[in-house]
Amino acid sequence: MSAARRGRLLPYLLLSPLVVFIGALSFVPTADTTVEAFFRVMPLDPPDKFIGLGNFRALFADSAINTSWINTAAYVVIGVVASVVLGTAIAVALKQRFRLRGVVLALVILPWALPAVVEAVIWNWIYNPTFGVMNSALHSAHLIGGYHVWLGLSRWLTIGLIEIVQVWQITPLSALIILAALQAIPTDLYEAARVDGAGPLQAFRRISLPLIRPALAVCAVEALVLSLNIFDQVYILNGIAPLGSSVMLQTYVTTFENLNFGGGYALSLLVTLATAVASMGMLALLYRRTEAAG
Amino acid sequence: MTAGTGERATRAVTRVASGPAGRALSRKPARLVGRTVAIVVILLWSLFPLYWALNTSLSTLSGADSTPAHYFPSPLAGASYRAVFGIGSSAYGISAELGRSLLNSVIESGAAMIVTVVIAILAAYAFARMQFRFKRTIFVSVLATLLLPAYATLIPLYRIMANLGLVNTYLAVILVYVSGFLPLAIWILYNYFNTIPRELEEAAFVDGASPMKALLRVVIPVARPGIAAAAIISFLLGWAQFLFPLILTTNLSTQPATVIVAALNQQRIVPFTLLMGCGVIVAAVPGVLALALNRYLIQGITAGSVK
Repeated sequence: MSAARRGRLLPYLLLSPLVVFIGALSFVPTADTTVEAFFRVMPLDPPDKFIGLGNFRALFADSAINTSWINTAAYVVIGVVASVVLGTAIAVALKQRFRLRGVVLALVILPWALPAVVEAVIWNWIYNPTFGVMNSALHSAHLIGGYHVWLGLSRWLTIGLIEIVQVWQITPLSALIILAALQAIPTDLYEAARVDGAGPLQAFRRISLPLIRPALAVCAVEALVLSLNIFDQVYILNGIAPLGSSVMLQTYVTTFENLNFGGGYALSLLVTLATAVASMGMLALLYRRTEAAG
Repeated sequence: MTAGTGERATRAVTRVASGPAGRALSRKPARLVGRTVAIVVILLWSLFPLYWALNTSLSTLSGADSTPAHYFPSPLAGASYRAVFGIGSSAYGISAELGRSLLNSVIESGAAMIVTVVIAILAAYAFARMQFRFKRTIFVSVLATLLLPAYATLIPLYRIMANLGLVNTYLAVILVYVSGFLPLAIWILYNYFNTIPRELEEAAFVDGASPMKALLRVVIPVARPGIAAAAIISFLLGWAQFLFPLILTTNLSTQPATVIVAALNQQRIVPFTLLMGCGVIVAAVPGVLALALNRYLIQGITAGSVK
């Protein structure tokens, strides 16, 4: 083979392992999910059979699954709003230099770096009704009269407390992304604002906020995808009870507990579509606002 | 935001993070107090749950199960760690179980990290430096899978592995991890390669080096920080996986530590002191790595996210 020919083939050679991996283990499975969603697939009761929208009709008739969609919407709203607001607050607080700032930054990332399952087990102990530190601390501060059962009784309280665990994990990511955006803003913009008599709040609203909007959009979309697919925290803190269940948990239950693979495929397809539509929608919304502001 | 801005921002964060101790805070004492309080609150929020796990793991059972709660272990006890490490009476057989699952976690996340980084270096080099047909199409479709929830592929991947007879093997877990981690690793390395001046390689080409030799001898040594970022993020992602191994592994021969911790939690017979001891150990591996390599981690996170 000539050197020139080898040179032309080289890029394809370099990409071949990637293409094989992503093709066989991402694209083929996604296509498979899309097709099988319209089939009845029961591994214990073959054969598979085309049933059109049958799986989807069964899903929408299932009250546990309908509950999980509304729960997931709540997880998403809390997750996106709380992680972006907290992330911005942390980024603003850590923007100025101070002694040991590098150490503080390293420590702040920790919750992001650890397995969600382990974190959920820790928070489960924090929320423990008899010996949990949350009850103890709130009681010592006279904020509650007696010890409470936090999880599994009230639907919205359970969802809120579970989402706190996820927000705790993903907020460092938002904080770092927003911090990077804040630090990319030229300092002379702030100097100019100060000369013009603007206070710190005004400078934040007029200078920082418009310039970090793209970073906020990225954080919002990341939080959206993660909270729409919340599984680990729900599995540990809620179990498979419908009360605080998420759609990902229902996909798992439908497929691997009830062994209704067709239903699982259909639900996976819906979650994938919901994720794509919601993240595209959020990007369009936030980027349009950026243009309007700029 | 362009990739260039992201790179600049990345450098800004890492520079400040690793830079010399900062100057004095603000001149106004009120603002100084305000900022100190803010930083203390941020640290409490970030670290208290982890401290609480450590505190419980170092308590006796009656110390942990006391009301009101003890904020420091009193008396300080190493019983849960003795049990976890199998010293003395190994309560609940946890030591063997946790030890084996930690080994599985190391093998699965370690192998996935190595394969991911090698494949990503080759691909990112082609994307960053070579011109060829379908380049844009392949690049965009690979990165698009970043927006795809990983679980879109959950059931088909399980069935593929079941059909191949690979359920409950390391290979199945590693293959699935690699396919999931590749897009992010490629994005990080592609951005890093683009910051390396082409003149470095051109000098090697003048000396008669082939593109592969230039990659090995020139680009990879210079790109070490970017490669470290892609490697540590891949390892952390692998260590944290739960749902995929939950369905792809069926017993202790391949189950990673996350699956074992969840199972211990579910059994509800393991005392919380012991459970927290397990949690601390499983969290310690990524925790220590994240602290030790936080420069690369920050760089990877910001490069991988600010698009």
